[in-house]
Amino acid sequence: MTENATRRFIEDYEARREVLPGVDGWLSRHREGAIRDFAGVGLPHRRLEEWKYTDLGRVLEKAGIEPAPLLEGAVLLPESRSAAVFETIDRHVLVFVNGRYRADLSKAARLPKGVEIHSLGDVLHEQWAKDLVERRFDEKRQAESIVDLNTALMSDGACLRVRKGVKLDKPLHLFFFSADAGASHCRNLVLLEDEAEATILETHLGEKASLADLVLDISLGVGARLNHIKLQDEAESSVHIATMRARLAAQARLSSFTLTLGCGTSRGQSFVLFAGEGAEANIDGAYALKGAQHLDQFCVIDHAVPSCNSHTLFKGVLDGESEGVFQGKVIVRPHAQKTDGRQMTHALLLSRDASMNAKPELEIYADDVQCAHGSTVGELSKDALFYLQSRGIPEAEARRLLVLAFLDEALDLAPHDEARESLRRLVSDWFAEADI
Amino acid sequence: MAAVKETVETVREAEKYKYGFFTDIESEKAPLGLTEDTVRFISAKKDEPEWLLQWRLDAFRRWLTMTEPTWAKVSYPPIDFQDAYYYAAPKQKVQPKSLDEVDPKLLETYEKLGIPLTEQKMLAGVAVDAVFDSVSVVTTFKEKLAEAGVIFCPMSEAVKNHPELVKKYLGSVVPTSDNFYATLNSAVFSEGSFVYIPESVRCPMELSTYFRINEKQTGQFERTLIIADKGSYVSYLEGCTAPQRDENQLHAAVVELVALEDAEIKYSTVQNWFPGDEEGKGGVYNFVTKRGDCRGANSKISWTQVETGSAITWKYPSCILRGDNSRGEFYSIAISNGHQQVDSGTKMIHLGRNTTSRIISKGISAGKSSNTYRGLVSVHRKAENVRNFTQCDSLLIGDKCSAHTVPYIETKNPTAILEHEATTSKISDDQLFYCMQRGIGEEEAVALIVNGFCRDVLQQLPMEFAVEAQKLVGISLEGSVG
Repeated sequence: MTENATRRFIEDYEARREVLPGVDGWLSRHREGAIRDFAGVGLPHRRLEEWKYTDLGRVLEKAGIEPAPLLEGAVLLPESRSAAVFETIDRHVLVFVNGRYRADLSKAARLPKGVEIHSLGDVLHEQWAKDLVERRFDEKRQAESIVDLNTALMSDGACLRVRKGVKLDKPLHLFFFSADAGASHCRNLVLLEDEAEATILETHLGEKASLADLVLDISLGVGARLNHIKLQDEAESSVHIATMRARLAAQARLSSFTLTLGCGTSRGQSFVLFAGEGAEANIDGAYALKGAQHLDQFCVIDHAVPSCNSHTLFKGVLDGESEGVFQGKVIVRPHAQKTDGRQMTHALLLSRDASMNAKPELEIYADDVQCAHGSTVGELSKDALFYLQSRGIPEAEARRLLVLAFLDEALDLAPHDEARESLRRLVSDWFAEADI
Repeated sequence: MAAVKETVETVREAEKYKYGFFTDIESEKAPLGLTEDTVRFISAKKDEPEWLLQWRLDAFRRWLTMTEPTWAKVSYPPIDFQDAYYYAAPKQKVQPKSLDEVDPKLLETYEKLGIPLTEQKMLAGVAVDAVFDSVSVVTTFKEKLAEAGVIFCPMSEAVKNHPELVKKYLGSVVPTSDNFYATLNSAVFSEGSFVYIPESVRCPMELSTYFRINEKQTGQFERTLIIADKGSYVSYLEGCTAPQRDENQLHAAVVELVALEDAEIKYSTVQNWFPGDEEGKGGVYNFVTKRGDCRGANSKISWTQVETGSAITWKYPSCILRGDNSRGEFYSIAISNGHQQVDSGTKMIHLGRNTTSRIISKGISAGKSSNTYRGLVSVHRKAENVRNFTQCDSLLIGDKCSAHTVPYIETKNPTAILEHEATTSKISDDQLFYCMQRGIGEEEAVALIVNGFCRDVLQQLPMEFAVEAQKLVGISLEGSVG
């Protein structure tokens, strides 16, 4: 079933291997290995446990996976609310159109000393980039094998390095826009050295039947802090596969928040590895789906060392025939005592045809730990609706209020004050227009 | 000095697996290995009708094309299915008519196991079907049950005397194609209990089956079928033990429950197969398929299990909630110690309207064991107003054991309310200190705290067995602290 799409990706690689960045160095060897591994396992399908609810192979069979055209001329960026959501924030902007960096549309000047921002092709000769690209969190993990596809075909991306003790003055905004149908393969690298700090905002927009294949590789040094906010508002015909791999040294803190307001078939993967004691990771998100949208959030938190905290909360609203998936796993390795791991997922089903699948997993090999997970699925409380209506609030308005209040708990966790308020306004406008 | 010696003896005694003895009894076995001939041999031994033989052969041919499941969180060396006996029966010339004719060695065995078979012990008021290796030895209280119209007999007898019921229900809940071990069981099942409760009858006593593996190198494949007709009620209990050996023995049973309109089945298990020695050598591989079908409206099926034995447990008693307003319950205590591996849980499949389910699972891992809860709650499109509550708690004793929770929650209907919660904790030093300071020994204190931890589940067991189970909880954890 999936052989066809797999073969097309391999052919795409064969055709473009000479023009992909890093052709004359270590990367071309690495790409060879990656495409071989990818060819060995093929595209994921539902018979794999970690892809149980998303048949990526089948979806891509129908999607356009030829590379999106390279646009060099003038591009009309969208003017939707989602596109403008971070505009009021003073920020550096890197714009990617069809998966290619556009210097003419970007604005990242006067960076503080100790901050480097490059596109992928420019850092491939550096050791830190090599280290980030080459690492593998778990050989056996079925979900991570899709990263091989990205490694083989990645053609551009944003790379941020912040030196020891330096703080990135303004948020870095990565703006991804698919102007045409077709595939784009981006690799973003983030290295925060000890005690460094940064905030990254990501926007993914597109109206076409595009395939966005993204990997975000993060390494945080001792005491480093990274805030990450991602907004996704893409066409219903799009496919989005995003993997975040983060390694945290001692005392580091990662706060990542994803808001999905539009997608076709989307799979968001987060892998967090605690490598030093006292680190903290918050992987949270909110989503509102309608139509035939499908969103799969897959999240693995690996407590490999003692005394780390992790927190995961995903809240979502499902309308139409949409399907939501949450698959989470908290692993507590032997000796990782004093771990605190929390994992929650809540979903509201607004329509008869929407569905939700959740699989919050705990895997614990140490005894002095506190781990909990919870999952609820249900519809809007009739009592609450009645209460609001009895006080003169029309039904549609009451439903909107309750849904917004439901999502608010997750939105609260977006780790940047201004961005959080913008997102909140965006969600509330979105529901004002949506017919729920 | 004598007192010290006595104490040492007692402790040694308590630490051992109490049921590890072997009864030296002449037995008749099928030839080693598994071929179509083995299946025909078993069928011929049981004097089965042609349709059942064909059913077995179909299952066997299908089994040959299947592969062993590997998704469970257990690891063991590959099983050589050709290096085992699939049928073993104590040699007996004629079928015993009463207990007096049963081989006294067998009776002695059951006496040692504490199973009330003999007349004086029948006062305990529980009807027992005793299964020794592949055959049923004796079923007590048959007459009294027959008065109420209840059929309680070994499966082979049911095939002969009630073929229409067996034909109608056998394989209707767990089809022969269900999974690797269920298919194997369908091909070679040798014994098991058959229960039929007629319409509007409340079974006058607890029914119980006692399974014993005795022979070396044998697998046990029993098949239990319980049918509760409209408006009836039955409570059923199974217990299991095996001798202590350093080889692994396979136990692949299938249990099918059918509850028609307004019927209720309560199925309790106290599983205490030999778990292997301290080094993890030997023990029973317990690969069991248990499923209940709430076929009629307002029916109810309740599973209660206390899992303390087996080297590996792979078992998911499930409920298919087909009838409107039906209810499924699953209460489980799974205790693992030493090198035991448990992967157990349940499936609640909500198909009917207003169906409800409740899952309470308590996993306790000690020593170097691994304990996994794996459960599915699934709500289908047409199942309105479904309600589910799931709670799975894990308790870890020591830092070399592990506890995992793998819940699957799938909803296709917005009116469903599903809740799942899980916690993991350990016995706190404060609790232990409090008990010890009042003169309670450490091990006893642990047993006390653990008993409190699983009280919700213990309360669900029939009274006679609750006491036994409580003791079992204590024994299973011996040697886990300090």
